[in-house]
Amino acid sequence: MRIIKRSIKQIVIASIIIVVAVITVILFVFNQKFTDTTKEKSVYSINVLDLINEFKKNDSLANKKYAEKIITVIGLVTEIETADTTTNIKMADTTSGSYVIFAFQQQNKHEAKNIKKGDKVAIKGSCSGGAYSEILEAEFITFKRCALSK
Amino acid sequence: MKKTILILALALVSSTIFAQKKTTTSGTINFDATTTLDPLPKAENKTVVAALDTKNGAIAFEAIMKSFSFANPMMQEHFNSSKWIDSDKFPTSTFKGTITNFSAINLKKDGTYPADVTGDLTIHGITKSVTTKGSVTVNGKVIAATADFTIKVADYGITGQAIEAGKVTKEPKIIVAIEFK
Repeated sequence: MRIIKRSIKQIVIASIIIVVAVITVILFVFNQKFTDTTKEKSVYSINVLDLINEFKKNDSLANKKYAEKIITVIGLVTEIETADTTTNIKMADTTSGSYVIFAFQQQNKHEAKNIKKGDKVAIKGSCSGGAYSEILEAEFITFKRCALSK
Repeated sequence: MKKTILILALALVSSTIFAQKKTTTSGTINFDATTTLDPLPKAENKTVVAALDTKNGAIAFEAIMKSFSFANPMMQEHFNSSKWIDSDKFPTSTFKGTITNFSAINLKKDGTYPADVTGDLTIHGITKSVTTKGSVTVNGKVIAATADFTIKVADYGITGQAIEAGKVTKEPKIIVAIEFK
């Protein structure tokens, strides 16, 4: 009888531990946020024209290499595009019209506003990949969660 | 002399054609598939390419699917995975359509005008016709076009346990906001 009681007690304790562990894991996964890009390490650091050329040469290969990775891109700012809630920084290959565009993360939005056309900057962000735009007839490569690389 | 006139005429025609098409590379699309069970499936894409023909109201956009930024890493991974959008196979979504009541919109006069938009929306490699109401706001040289509408994910071949379990809505809301300068 005592053995049965002890077994039941052990099963109850084990069940409680399992339930608490599962809830903790679920809460952790669901409340997880992306790491601040400034604290992330770049997988690649590349000149903007070299990046554009890689995508123009073979965008499916370049997408496999760069998409969803933290990349630092170095180049000249050719445009600052502001809308209601956004300020995007653009680096374009002026001969082909192909470009890389960077959408800044919330906590670094102010940096984008201080950048000027013609500035040479290094921007770190999560590469979303690139595609050929039928509208612009040029390759476009987009980045999200960006920050100035210091 | 004739040659000069011809060149000038050609230059004028080409500049007129060029001026008809306004483009932007910083359009915004918000995607909201949240339910009472799950507030996580929502994202924003701030780098949408878009064009508006100011002569006939033709409107188009292109969005890279991996540009949709979620707050939650797991949700973003699910969204792009082969079970959902399959962004590796179908990297972009596009819209090609027209503002059907474009003649009622005066681009030379500031104001907000209702806009009836109809066209083909391609997501997940599947194209469906979409008709929605939106608005066009003219403010000097800036033309802002907005529209919000819902789509049925099943129409675009997107199904899954999360949808059946009510964690992701079957009809997410799409909000498009594009500013042409």
